[in-house]
Amino acid sequence: MSDHALAERPVIYNDDVVKKFVIASIFWAIVAFLVGVYIASELSWPALNLGLPFTNFGRLRPVHTSAAIFAFGGSALLGTSFYVVQRTCRARLWGGEALANFVFWGYQFFIVMAALSYVMGFSQSREYAEPEWHLDIWLTIVWVCYLLIFMGTLMKRQEPHIYVANWFYLAFIVTIAMLHIVNNLALPISMYSAKSYSYFSGVQDALVQWWYGHNAVGFFLTAGFLGMMYYFIPKAAGRPVYSYRLSIVHFWTLIFMYIWAGPHHLHWTSLPDWTQTLGMAFSIMLWMPSWGGMINGLMTLSGAWDKLRTDPGLRFSVTAVGFYGMSTFEGPVMSVREVNALSHYTDWTIGHVHSGALGWVAFITFGALYYLVPALWHKELYSKRLASWHYWIATLGIVFYIVSMWVAGIMEGLMWRAYDKFGFLQYSFVESVVAVHPFMVLRMIGGVMFLIGGLIMAYNLRRTVTSPTIEAPTLDTSMGGLAVAGE
Amino acid sequence: MESVANVLVGVMVAGFGIVGLFLVAGAADSEMFIFGLGLAVFAVAFNFGLVKRHFDKRDATRGAAREATHV
Repeated sequence: MSDHALAERPVIYNDDVVKKFVIASIFWAIVAFLVGVYIASELSWPALNLGLPFTNFGRLRPVHTSAAIFAFGGSALLGTSFYVVQRTCRARLWGGEALANFVFWGYQFFIVMAALSYVMGFSQSREYAEPEWHLDIWLTIVWVCYLLIFMGTLMKRQEPHIYVANWFYLAFIVTIAMLHIVNNLALPISMYSAKSYSYFSGVQDALVQWWYGHNAVGFFLTAGFLGMMYYFIPKAAGRPVYSYRLSIVHFWTLIFMYIWAGPHHLHWTSLPDWTQTLGMAFSIMLWMPSWGGMINGLMTLSGAWDKLRTDPGLRFSVTAVGFYGMSTFEGPVMSVREVNALSHYTDWTIGHVHSGALGWVAFITFGALYYLVPALWHKELYSKRLASWHYWIATLGIVFYIVSMWVAGIMEGLMWRAYDKFGFLQYSFVESVVAVHPFMVLRMIGGVMFLIGGLIMAYNLRRTVTSPTIEAPTLDTSMGGLAVAGE
Repeated sequence: MESVANVLVGVMVAGFGIVGLFLVAGAADSEMFIFGLGLAVFAVAFNFGLVKRHFDKRDATRGAAREATHV
């Protein structure tokens, strides 16, 4: 067969696994938001801990963070990466249907087992890396299979070029594997026991943990979702990426700089000063690639801004890029040692994390979901009006959340450092807790709004899938040509 | 080629199921007991799904061939 004939042969994509990940992502979004609202209520009214170990804040908090990051965000990342890599490489997923299904079900199994272990009280006490050693090994196996599928698909591509979204996805997969393995090096007390002890100790342990922790933000919550941005915004807008060269510069600078920024989580600790300064300097330098990427994402809409009025999915994506710019401005500010002296251990950090998690991660995912569900099921979106309601309720929810946390956090920081004329602390800790109570309630209201938005989305997308309307033309060919995102 | 890959995945998952059973048998705490049991159930369910999909696909192919012959 000639090369031309090979190139013309239609490729049957494995969309079955993508659909599963899309459904899982929507389901876990609701779970994550619901648990978030519950633990926010516990912080407002501690009686809601119910005096039971498994409803205690300390156990439910990792359920919330893991459900949001790994279950909701992770399912969205794995699903979209499989969708994007097939289309931009014009190749079916490598490894066959069973391997892709193993990655899906294996990943869901990990999520359920991790959540169960948290409520049962098993944890490594490492933030965002709470699962014990046996679950870490299981995730490593699933992740290696994921890497093999992604790499294999890239290697058998029929396109000469590897589109930039795939670079970001690949960085996410490879770096997360490295971070996960190193941070979870531990010695179990027995092969039959879930308890283990970290390979590291003291300040080295803290440094490894925050090298992992910050790069989980950098490579899971940033690089992966940037891959999403570089595919779905051009597709939804029907415009190519504003500057492909800028996207490549964005990629390499981000990859090089992020990995050094972790020590800013350990300011004013026993970590050597030079290491703290190194982390701070690289965090500040991260402004450049972050804003370069933000500008690239926003400018992709040049000539297509009118679509924001008619495409609610695109509205989510573009607002997400705005939040990306805002939180990547705030992060470096907070990494400056003097600012950190005020902000660390306060709710300002929680506000910062959620402006990234809700504004950037969740919104860019919502944008992708509003694009993907009609495209995968070949249906029209059930209701643009409901999507619009989702957008405004969720946006307002984020505003409630982050503003209340800013105010609470700065107030806490100022109260904790206030001295009276005799040199004694002016406020006891409990006074600062009482002072922030109204803001805890406001934050919970913001969370409820975000949850309502999520439920509206789930209903809208379910109605889209079950819609009896006749098959609409697939969005792939109707959204401004094939060439906008690397196909 | 795809069927070979499916068999390999099936064997790999069956291996995990057996590991799960060993973990259940020797579990020193409730977490390891539940994980091992979960792993074994996961393996059985996954491989049942694999077998089901294989026969569903074969039936679909035969059905299509029969229809083509009748036409």
